[in-house]
Amino acid sequence: MSKIETPDFERLPVNPDKTYGLMCVVPTRTEAVTIETEKQVLSWPEGLLRYLLVFLALFVVLSIISLVFNAPLEEPANALHPPNPAKAPWYFLGLQEMVSYSAFWGGVGIPTLLVLLAIAAPYLESKPGGEGVWFHSCRSAANWTFLTIMGTLGVLTLIGTLFRGKNWDFILPW
Amino acid sequence: MQNLPHVDETRGKSILHRIWYSIFRSTPLPATALDRSQAVANNFFLHIHSAKVGERTLRFKTTLGLGLMTFFTFIILVVTGILLMFYYVPTPEQAYDRMLDLRSAVFFGSFLRNLHRWSAHAMVLLALLHMMRVFLTGSHKAPREFNWVLGVVLLLLTLFMSFTGYLLPWDQLAYWAIVVGTAIAGYAPFVGDEVRFIMLGDTQVGSEALLRFYVLHVAVLPAVLVLLIGWHFWRIRKDGGLARPREALAASAAASIPVPVPVPEPKDGDEPRNKDEPKDGDEPKDGDEDGGDGSKEKK
Repeated sequence: MSKIETPDFERLPVNPDKTYGLMCVVPTRTEAVTIETEKQVLSWPEGLLRYLLVFLALFVVLSIISLVFNAPLEEPANALHPPNPAKAPWYFLGLQEMVSYSAFWGGVGIPTLLVLLAIAAPYLESKPGGEGVWFHSCRSAANWTFLTIMGTLGVLTLIGTLFRGKNWDFILPW
Repeated sequence: MQNLPHVDETRGKSILHRIWYSIFRSTPLPATALDRSQAVANNFFLHIHSAKVGERTLRFKTTLGLGLMTFFTFIILVVTGILLMFYYVPTPEQAYDRMLDLRSAVFFGSFLRNLHRWSAHAMVLLALLHMMRVFLTGSHKAPREFNWVLGVVLLLLTLFMSFTGYLLPWDQLAYWAIVVGTAIAGYAPFVGDEVRFIMLGDTQVGSEALLRFYVLHVAVLPAVLVLLIGWHFWRIRKDGGLARPREALAASAAASIPVPVPVPEPKDGDEPRNKDEPKDGDEPKDGDEDGGDGSKEKK
């Protein structure tokens, strides 16, 4: 029965004492009243105090690191005395490692493709499911692809940081 | 006229009381749910945040606090960065001497520089970890695709922010890292040399490059970053908070948003219920009643 019925006053007589009445019964889905509602708490203080704690913990940790370890400061810049090897900041050492194999692909081609892939990722992975769940089984292919890419970049960065010495030759850090 | 309870509440009260309410419009230690919601909603810095938040959102396991920590490192970097600006001169003659001054002549100068540098490394690392958290929990998926894109842009800006700051101490480490880093940009086909020249203002890393990196580092990039961080946070709220499992999503819909009840389509031969209603294929009229009320019904 998908037809909207006109009010059946014979079957559902109007009660003159009431300003409302049952007009018809619609066979359809309704609000999910049986589902337990999501537990919510007030942002102040439940959330904001936690944020403050996170900030304080972070600040304390960074302050201790800053008291114990001095930021590096080498000799004044000298364009005539290149160090061997000259290294980029650590987060670009993965790129520098790739550049040592191919200047264009390592420095420009692959990084550009990775950025485009990152931007496209949520549009490529359009099938819904697994939101808000760590390592959901229905997303294992996507997660493994992502972890493989990140892991490869991580390994390349580690190689560039620790295992490269003079003339970008392979060395052991110990 | 809008109801202004604070005007009545503060009448005849002490000057401190009146000053407080003139700024905050809510009690210093709100105790009731209403006052606590208003403490968030009435605050300029907090109003981008919802007055209530899912218990699941606050659980450590949900996010590991990584996005929040990334933001907090940025705050630390802005404060320490502004303080460092008082002592720094972006010229090859002075930059390095100013680093030595920070060590010897400036009160807490070493600590300031250390905190700025280690926080910068922390921000890059935390942004990467935050990105991994978002992906591995599937939180980048619809309807949050664009916030993920904003996040990717923010990550690139963070890297560029760190890279431009790397040159400023003007020591061997800084100088040659930028020589190597900008050489990578030079490998781009056709435009590589031009891009490198625009970055450095010269064919070599010199005074022009130092000035450009400084301006990018202290003015341009932070301004863009602040704007995009605001956009990133605003989108979290507009996308309905953090991504959550399907069951929880239904529960949250039941809790807060009225779910439109689909009314069955009249069958052929039936009188249309409403003759003004656009039929399938009709163009929606101006002032479409669905516009903007957020309860658009999917067919």
